[in-house]
Parts: sequence; C-alpha cells; structure tokens
Amino acid sequence: MIWGVLQFPGSCDERDALYACMIATGEARLVWHEDRDLSGIDAVVVPGGFSYGDYLRAGAIARFSPAMEAVAEHAAAGKPVLGICNGFQVLCEAGLLPGALLRNEGMRFVCRQVELVADGESLSIPAKHGEGRYWAPEETLDALEESGQVAYRYAPGQNPNGSARDIAGVANEAGNVLGLMPHPEHAVDPLTGSTDGLRVFQRLEGVLR
Amino acid sequence: MVELEAEDPERLAELCEKLLANPLIEDYEIQTL
Repeated sequence: MIWGVLQFPGSCDERDALYACMIATGEARLVWHEDRDLSGIDAVVVPGGFSYGDYLRAGAIARFSPAMEAVAEHAAAGKPVLGICNGFQVLCEAGLLPGALLRNEGMRFVCRQVELVADGESLSIPAKHGEGRYWAPEETLDALEESGQVAYRYAPGQNPNGSARDIAGVANEAGNVLGLMPHPEHAVDPLTGSTDGLRVFQRLEGVLR
Repeated sequence: MVELEAEDPERLAELCEKLLANPLIEDYEIQTL
C-alpha cells in the first residue's frame, strides 16, 4: 500500500505523517499542494498544520487546492483518505466529511495526550489544536450515530475542546474518508510513549481489502 | 469583515457561500459601498 501525504504551505505534520505511513505499510511520498497527480497512490493523508496560514478559516483555502481536487476524485472512487487535525478541517470544508471544527470551548490551544475509544478499544494519542471542537446540527449528529460514522470519541472526561457528543473523529457514509482531530502520526514509536496511532492507519488500510 | 472590490457584485453571494463564509456555522451580510 502506497500513501500520499499532502503538503500545503503551512503544513507542519506532514513529515511525521510520512514516517507513520512508512512504519505502517512501508511506502509513502509527499504530494505538493499544486500537484493533481495521485497515480500510484492507494491512500491519502491530509496532514495537520496551518494550511495557507489558516486564512479566512482553517481549511477554507486548502480545499480549493489542485491536490484537493484530486483527493475528492480519489475519495469518490472509494479509496482511503485520512484527515488529521487541520486535515480534518480541510475535509469538512471540502464537504467530504459532515460538520465543522470550531474554536475550542475554552478558547485556548490545547496540547495533551488524550484517550480515545472506538469500537470497544481504547487508544492513547496526542491532541494539539485551537479549533478542534466538532460541531454539526443535532439531526446530523443523530444520523452519524445511527449510521456508525462516529469513528472515535474522547474517553469520558477526556474531551479537551467541547466537541459535541465527545466526537474526536468521523467517517463518511462509505467509510473510506476519515477525519480525526488528535494526531495518530505522533503515536507510532514507543520512544514517544504510545504506538496506538498505528491502528488508525491500519484501519484505513483495511478499506482497500 | 472582509472588504473587496468585485467586478460582478451579483456573484458576491456565491463567493460568500463557497469561500468567505462556511454557511454551516457562519452567517454573512453583504454591504455595497
């Protein structure tokens, strides 16, 4: 499986994502934001950072980049896409995922290790963001719950930003596009305290099988 | 507030819907000066 990791002006986590993808599956390459060519790439990571300086809103400009046009086609073809933090914001702005990410409830940037729960398992990975409060209309949240699109939640008492219903990550209806506010790419090496992040990449790998 | 010169003011609403505002979480108002 070959991963492509997008790189926008202002991205800052693309190298860690590249490393995480290589640990997870062995092959990965960077994709510059002006590049429309995703040929040979099986799965895409839209990484964290501050694409285009977060001007207007986080992800508002990045969604119009040539690379994101290619990502939309890639997603429509049922191939895996993982948006992390700013990447999650970009995917929401692009309409590839429902909802939006708002300023944290406490109006402060948070940086801490958080516990997530998904399908009965728990993961410990770091979160670092100022605009990570997941929001969607109540009817959309109900629909997400019913269709099983809430992919990750903060464990009880761990919600660092006031996200609705403790939602940390959501998937699209088909399940091939996943957005997550905490950073699995920073939790792939025992040296940094957790390798739970690898399971997020492996989850997307499963889409191809 | 965003100030801009537009050649075609008829398209300002479209510009707001697609870029300047996220209609899911933001309202917008257009004032012509």
